[in-house]
Amino acid sequence: MKNSQLYKGSLNTIIMKLLEENGKMYGYEITQKVKIITHGELNITEGALYPALHKLEAEGILDVEIAKVDNRMRKYYKLTESGQKETVNRLAELEDFIRNMQSLVNPKSNLEF
Amino acid sequence: MKLTSEQIDQLFSFTRQHYVEWYDLQSELVDHLANAIETQWEENPKLTFDQALNAEFKKFGVFGFMDVVEKRQAVLSKKYNRLVWEHFKDFFGIPKIVLLIAMTLGLFSILKINFYSQWIFIGLYLILIVFSFREMFKNSKRKKQQIKEVQKRWLFEEIINQYGSFSVIALTPLNIFIQLLNHSKDILSNPYYTLGLSFLFVLFAIIVFIIFKIMPAKAEDYLLATYPEYKLDRL
Repeated sequence: MKNSQLYKGSLNTIIMKLLEENGKMYGYEITQKVKIITHGELNITEGALYPALHKLEAEGILDVEIAKVDNRMRKYYKLTESGQKETVNRLAELEDFIRNMQSLVNPKSNLEF
Repeated sequence: MKLTSEQIDQLFSFTRQHYVEWYDLQSELVDHLANAIETQWEENPKLTFDQALNAEFKKFGVFGFMDVVEKRQAVLSKKYNRLVWEHFKDFFGIPKIVLLIAMTLGLFSILKINFYSQWIFIGLYLILIVFSFREMFKNSKRKKQQIKEVQKRWLFEEIINQYGSFSVIALTPLNIFIQLLNHSKDILSNPYYTLGLSFLFVLFAIIVFIIFKIMPAKAEDYLLATYPEYKLDRL
């Protein structure tokens, strides 16, 4: 993660959003995807990603699948049914948060509404 | 450029050297490191395998894989506790509640009638302790064998076989029971206390039974549910 506490609370939501868009993904793929989308500005650290994935799996939000790729096992994560519903909730929450922060940080833009 | 099978094996030993003892975590980390190394080679084909590996490992921070391992342990221990709790709750639903009531009343009537009730009580408790120790001993022997034969070890299997955080449970109530026995004349002469004591003892016996018998017996099912790769491994 970029060296900021601000991103940490949103890591789960970021993972869920990516899985919603891409179906199933594996850990390394997620780190790369985030890098590409944010043009290298946001870098999810491995030490944060895997604990987050394992926790979401235990909560029943993610399900895992194993495939043999090249000469090794690959663990794919995908959203469960309840995970898909939860993603919608969390994205709405995050959007609210972004909107509120924007109004707080930049009060002038409120005048336009 | 792709990694060779030997290099994959090297990655497995690398995770082992860095205190990742369990196959489920090893294989995920190995795939991660392998992908990362291959990406580095695309950008800079001159890098050696070791250079690329070290660069990737640094990204995990000063504690290396420890963070990933610890969090995974915490998540799976929680899962274990939840499963034990579900089995425990079972005894308060139909039909098992009948058994719970019958055992409580059975113990109650023995303790109430018999002159040697306090010795019967302590005898039953000793039976539970001996049973727990026998199971623990069998498990530790099996684990040693696994390590000796370098078999794959699964973190959740190990949590089940070490009884999560319940491993000391067989001894925990010892003090309480000894205290109770010191006051046994008062307690065992009062039928309500005796009934309460019988109920507590039965609950304790149920927990011991769940963690030392039911959970290990169901281990295979739980492992299959936790790890899709466990099935591949057993084929």
